[in-house]
Amino acid sequence: MGTPPEANLGELARRIAAVVGPRHCVSDPAELLTYEADGLSHGRVRPALVVLPGSESEVAEVVKLVRASGRPIVPRGSGTGLSGGARPVPGCVVMSLTRMKRILQVDLENGWARVEPGVINLDVSRAVSGDGWYYAPDPSSQPVCSIGGNIAENSGGAHCLKYGFTVNHVYASRMVTAEGEVVEIGGPSLDVPGYDLLAALVGSEGMVGVVTEVTLRLLRKPEATRTFLAVFPSTDEGGNAVSGIIAAGILPAAIEMMDALAIKAAKAATGLDWPETCVLLMDADGPVAEVEHVSRRAIEIARAAGATEVKVPRDEAERQLMWKGRKSAFAAVGRISPNYMVEDGVIPRSEIAKVLREIESMARAVGLRVANVFHAGDGNLHPLVLYDARNPGEEERAAKLGGDILKMCVRHGGSITGEHGVGAEKAEHMADMFGPDDLETMKQVRFAFDGDAAFNPGKVFPATRLCGERPGPYEPHPVEKAGKAERW
Amino acid sequence: MAAPRPGTEADAVLGVVPRTVLVPETVEEAVAAVGALARDRMRVAFVGGGTDLELGAPPEGLDAVLRTERLTRVVEHAPSDQIVAVEAGLPLAELQRQLAAHGQRLAIDPPHPERATAGGIVAANAFGPLRARYGSARDLIIGVSLVRADGVLARGGGKVVKNVAGFDLPRLLVGSLGTLGLVATVTFRLHPLPEAAATLLFPGLDADQAWGLTREMRSRQLEPAAAAALSAVGRLDLGVRFEGFGPGVAQQGDRLLDLGRKAGLAAERLDEAGARAFWERHDRLRAAGPLRAKLAAPPASLPAVVRDATDPLLRALPGGGFAWYPTLGLGFATGSPASAGAVRAAAEQARAALHGLGGSLVLAAAPREVRAVLDVWGPPPPSIGLMRSLKARLDPERRLAPGRFVGGI
Repeated sequence: MGTPPEANLGELARRIAAVVGPRHCVSDPAELLTYEADGLSHGRVRPALVVLPGSESEVAEVVKLVRASGRPIVPRGSGTGLSGGARPVPGCVVMSLTRMKRILQVDLENGWARVEPGVINLDVSRAVSGDGWYYAPDPSSQPVCSIGGNIAENSGGAHCLKYGFTVNHVYASRMVTAEGEVVEIGGPSLDVPGYDLLAALVGSEGMVGVVTEVTLRLLRKPEATRTFLAVFPSTDEGGNAVSGIIAAGILPAAIEMMDALAIKAAKAATGLDWPETCVLLMDADGPVAEVEHVSRRAIEIARAAGATEVKVPRDEAERQLMWKGRKSAFAAVGRISPNYMVEDGVIPRSEIAKVLREIESMARAVGLRVANVFHAGDGNLHPLVLYDARNPGEEERAAKLGGDILKMCVRHGGSITGEHGVGAEKAEHMADMFGPDDLETMKQVRFAFDGDAAFNPGKVFPATRLCGERPGPYEPHPVEKAGKAERW
Repeated sequence: MAAPRPGTEADAVLGVVPRTVLVPETVEEAVAAVGALARDRMRVAFVGGGTDLELGAPPEGLDAVLRTERLTRVVEHAPSDQIVAVEAGLPLAELQRQLAAHGQRLAIDPPHPERATAGGIVAANAFGPLRARYGSARDLIIGVSLVRADGVLARGGGKVVKNVAGFDLPRLLVGSLGTLGLVATVTFRLHPLPEAAATLLFPGLDADQAWGLTREMRSRQLEPAAAAALSAVGRLDLGVRFEGFGPGVAQQGDRLLDLGRKAGLAAERLDEAGARAFWERHDRLRAAGPLRAKLAAPPASLPAVVRDATDPLLRALPGGGFAWYPTLGLGFATGSPASAGAVRAAAEQARAALHGLGGSLVLAAAPREVRAVLDVWGPPPPSIGLMRSLKARLDPERRLAPGRFVGGI
């Protein structure tokens, strides 16, 4: 799609401003800077315009206007995504849904909440926690990420081993199609007759429509949560403990692991006194007798697998501290390395110990270090590739190592992304995981919704990389720097 | 592959007899067979164990039926990763036997497990009482390979539970009834077999009591694996099953009995034989016929569902029954129609009531004379345009069971 002449831009901006109000149609170059990237800060592209509609009908009007202009539309939530899913393309109009942040209706009898896309993930749980309910998907950006963005990325979190992803927690959605029509998919009951279009929408990375309303499934809080932390001599024993716990028929709410380098970073950031070897953190939740039994059994298995130390928090404050050590790891790596890249790959959980050794030897071969923090229960690795951009060629080596780790995940039968999405960043890696026929079939699904690929072009599907584009360093999001949120 | 054989009445799909029947023995043969049908512009329906073969409207015509009965291999079972990849034609009971040897199961329990196949369960979105805890096929499927209408084999998802790479083809195929492609292989997430289980029975409840107890159970943070309310003549017998480790199952059972006592409800903790009898009664009710209506409504509307949908339906199905999953808001009314006209009137009344509640009514099975006077799917949902568009992209010549699906897709 060619970029239309800039001369038409002024006219488009005037028309859009007439719909959303001049304040909500941004064309000032200084203001556009904010929207040049999302949580992935490199590969910045300046959009032609940014529109912040305030209602579903405004979204529909703006989509029609932009479509008539021939420009692509890039939907955007809070902009916390780590794969460049909301990265603009040249000449595009970014549609930011942050103004649409009302919780429209809560029905605890039937267990759902109807919200606008700009509502912050954690605000959904906050709205119902007084009644003992919550919204289960908990990406670690949950204090700042939006429900609309969660829908686009099919966001997970530490607890999705037991509770599933966003796709398992959406009953219905309203969205504006590429034709500017408003459509409702799903419904307040299960099994609406017809194709499961929610499955096509959730995880579509902004490519099938602009979500204007979502009906989320809410859950009653579990009666009890039991947490423990176990220290192992190495990730070999830690990995075996995870396998043993799962083999015993236990389904933890979360089971997380950190290796020596990640612990070192977390200690530097939080002052925790964990040994720099390997740490496992497990939550069990559910009815009290069940979780006490499960927790005891898991601790026995951890000891038998070689745990040198097991800590059970005395109170909620201590439990939160343990989780803080885990959650701080991404940002904390900045304490032990000038630059680093965050990867997100998945392997079969039984291969954890083997894969970690492989990552270590791959890193050593190119003279780099990798810190590992991961969701061990579902094999979702987050290797953090450490490097120093001041050393010539090191950033390139780090990027190549990150890509090689993803390829290795695929070789082990895993995936190139467990929760960060493909976005712009990993589009080329889709070809490592899927063949041309697989990708072509997925494209047909996309075209069924948006035959002109007007929504969020250049994402997910591999294309020739533009000159100069390459993976880049991790930079904490401004709210993360301010200590308001963590990511993992 | 054995040579195609001519179709007979026994091969009919919703009364439509195909000209030929194909029985591939490998996925490669299935790909070749669908490719050959595509070259000849032939219309085809895919058949597994036939347990949900009555779902949908009769296809406009069928040149061929492709049966998956020989595609029964377990492609990969990784017990320590709790995943299994199987060919579409593998019967559920056979799969469960193989998994049980490793202390595992696929947590989907539709009726007729000896016949229901992995691919058929996905295509028909078949489910049973365990959906209360584990969700449906859409919550347990992690990967798929499908043969498209043009004979191209495509994969989606993968074999790890956590994976967000690309469009979600596996979930998109759940409930698509073979109208988007042939499900060739499916990869599922598995769960451990529970160490302990217990079923408690609250007999003779009215709809308010049944919903009240369900609600109270949730409010007290009990986590049943399954719950079903069964009825024949107005009163509901609510069975609740807990599964897990011994101490948790015992404690939850005690607490539910306590809740029942406080509400003044009679209750019993069923022994093994009693529990088996209750769930077998459920299976019989669920699978009865020749008419089987699937009802959906928000769970809290159970009293309205019974009053305005189920009662009228059961009056038109003398001797029929009702099985309702109170935590899900789904259920089935089954029986023999007094007359097509009576069922039509009752079903239209029930459908209107369920639509008013935000739900739906679909005839999952119905005699020919009822189909003649009643649309089995009901009015298509507002997103029907997008559904047609999806169909047009994946089966542009409308050759996969044309007309069987919602809105004539």
